[in-house]
Amino acid sequence: MMMEDKIFLFRARIAWSGAGVKLVTSPEDLQPAISEFIQGADSVFCPGITEIEKSIVIPPEARVNDYMHAKITVEEVMAGIAETGTIVCVSSSGKALQASLVPYHHVAVILRENIFADLDEFFARMNSPLPTNITFVTGPSRTGDIEQTLSIGVHGPGRVDVVIY
Amino acid sequence: MSHTHTTSNFRDNAVAALQDNALRAAMRKATDIFIAMRVNAVSDIPVEDWKDKASAIRARVLDNLPAYLDEFSATASSAGAVVYRAKDAQSARETVLHILKDRGVANIVKAKSMVTEEIGLNDYLISRGMSVVETDLGEYIVQLAGEPPSHILGPALHKNRQQIGRLFEEKLGVPYTEDAEELIGIAKRILRQKFFEAQAGISGANFVTADSGSIIIFTNEGNGRMVTTLPPLHIAVLSIEKVLPSLSDLPIFIRLLPRSASGQILSSYMSIITGTRKPGELTGAKELHIVLVDNGRSEILRGEFRDILKCIRCSACINVCPVYRMVGGHAYSSAYQGPMGIILTTLLEGMDKAHSLLDATTLCGACAEACPVCVPLPRLLAQLREDRVRKGFTPVMERMAMSAFGQALRVPAIFHAGQAALRLFWPLAQGTVANGRFNGIAPPAKTSFRRRIS
Repeated sequence: MMMEDKIFLFRARIAWSGAGVKLVTSPEDLQPAISEFIQGADSVFCPGITEIEKSIVIPPEARVNDYMHAKITVEEVMAGIAETGTIVCVSSSGKALQASLVPYHHVAVILRENIFADLDEFFARMNSPLPTNITFVTGPSRTGDIEQTLSIGVHGPGRVDVVIY
Repeated sequence: MSHTHTTSNFRDNAVAALQDNALRAAMRKATDIFIAMRVNAVSDIPVEDWKDKASAIRARVLDNLPAYLDEFSATASSAGAVVYRAKDAQSARETVLHILKDRGVANIVKAKSMVTEEIGLNDYLISRGMSVVETDLGEYIVQLAGEPPSHILGPALHKNRQQIGRLFEEKLGVPYTEDAEELIGIAKRILRQKFFEAQAGISGANFVTADSGSIIIFTNEGNGRMVTTLPPLHIAVLSIEKVLPSLSDLPIFIRLLPRSASGQILSSYMSIITGTRKPGELTGAKELHIVLVDNGRSEILRGEFRDILKCIRCSACINVCPVYRMVGGHAYSSAYQGPMGIILTTLLEGMDKAHSLLDATTLCGACAEACPVCVPLPRLLAQLREDRVRKGFTPVMERMAMSAFGQALRVPAIFHAGQAALRLFWPLAQGTVANGRFNGIAPPAKTSFRRRIS
């Protein structure tokens, strides 16, 4: 699958899942894209592990070092799967997966070369030993447990935004 | 609160359920939505082709189940998990209790697991002084109500929002509201505290993979993620047939399970958990214990009903079942409902205890079409019914009537006389003996079919 087709499908599926999606095409556009989400927020967590995460500027007064007290987590995610509109969070390289779970808003940056066309392509690349936790995130937390009416944001984030870079 | 299920009489339960208008309205709404979602989700995919592939993998699992379980035990252990085999419900409960007791655990959060319903784990732990809180919203609602789940996927779908509002008011001391968002907000606040306080999380698993030793859990709410990542101790309790050969078999099941269950392309979350937290990692329980529950399945595997073990618990067969849609899940008095529930429960509990469940089918075949792994549900149901007759568990009147009918079929003269008698006495029978129970049943034809074509 061509990169453009992958991104097209990925964006469509993300939108279907109820998450937001933004496409950033040049390095100077990344920070403004992130800033838009965190503007005015009082508690933003960013792990600062990957190069991308290190380059993201969080206003010092908004930055928190513990995701348990954050309203927003901004992080780079390891992979995306176009077929399902999924972002993949993994526990390797010291990432706490709880950071994409506890705060209300998850902003995930994904490098376009890390988007897989489909599930088979992704699993073909999963070699042992596996990280302790691989979590597929497809849209916000939801439930239909009260009269099968869709409600967003139960235990996990009520808002997920994916920035394709 | 979970219940150890002793099957009561389905017919009596069904009669009571049919008189409950709120239940019937809730059932109709819920199952209509589930069915419409599933039909939509499988409309633009080569679903028959996928079903065949998934079915073949599940058949391969059953052909080699002991070997895959051994492989899973080895790979999961080497990833840091401790794996137990529990041959029955009692040993499964004791295994979990010992793990918790040895570590002085008092507070437990739980993600949905049907096999823990099957073995009555919650009541067992609670009666030994532990706090066990279900965290799936639907499970939380039925636990508060002191009821078992009525559907393996939507445990509280038999309740309307007014009932849930009154339940919260009564049990949680909050002001009455029937606004779904508000009710969810209340549950979320309470459960979040429970997640942070818990010393252990108990989950089930949708699948485990033999080659990688991984546990795979699908959830929409995120409670499964909380339960498996926040407490330092994670215990996964699952039945032995949940194993898949390889991680590379997962894609087809990822495609089929959520589509068949809720009509989603994928649930919000799917976690693949492999062993315990490694050095340098900030995610993962420090201890992972996996309890593989047999509870009669090895014996099912050796018998003529083994195909029921292909089931992946999507609940598609439950949603399309015309009997389930009418009576709801509680009428079954079992952890599993609908066609797969009838079959599995009858086999797990034995014909003597569960035979009345075999009344809960019309053999219409809707389930066969819905099943994503080609379990021959109508065939298994019919076979179990034959088994029931052979073992003498049908009602006496039914046996006598069937036996008389069988005799009549063998002698054309008696059969024709019977038809004539029926035509003659129908108006009388309808007015007196049946007391209106035959209303809606077409009267016997004036001329029999045989006459018309001969």
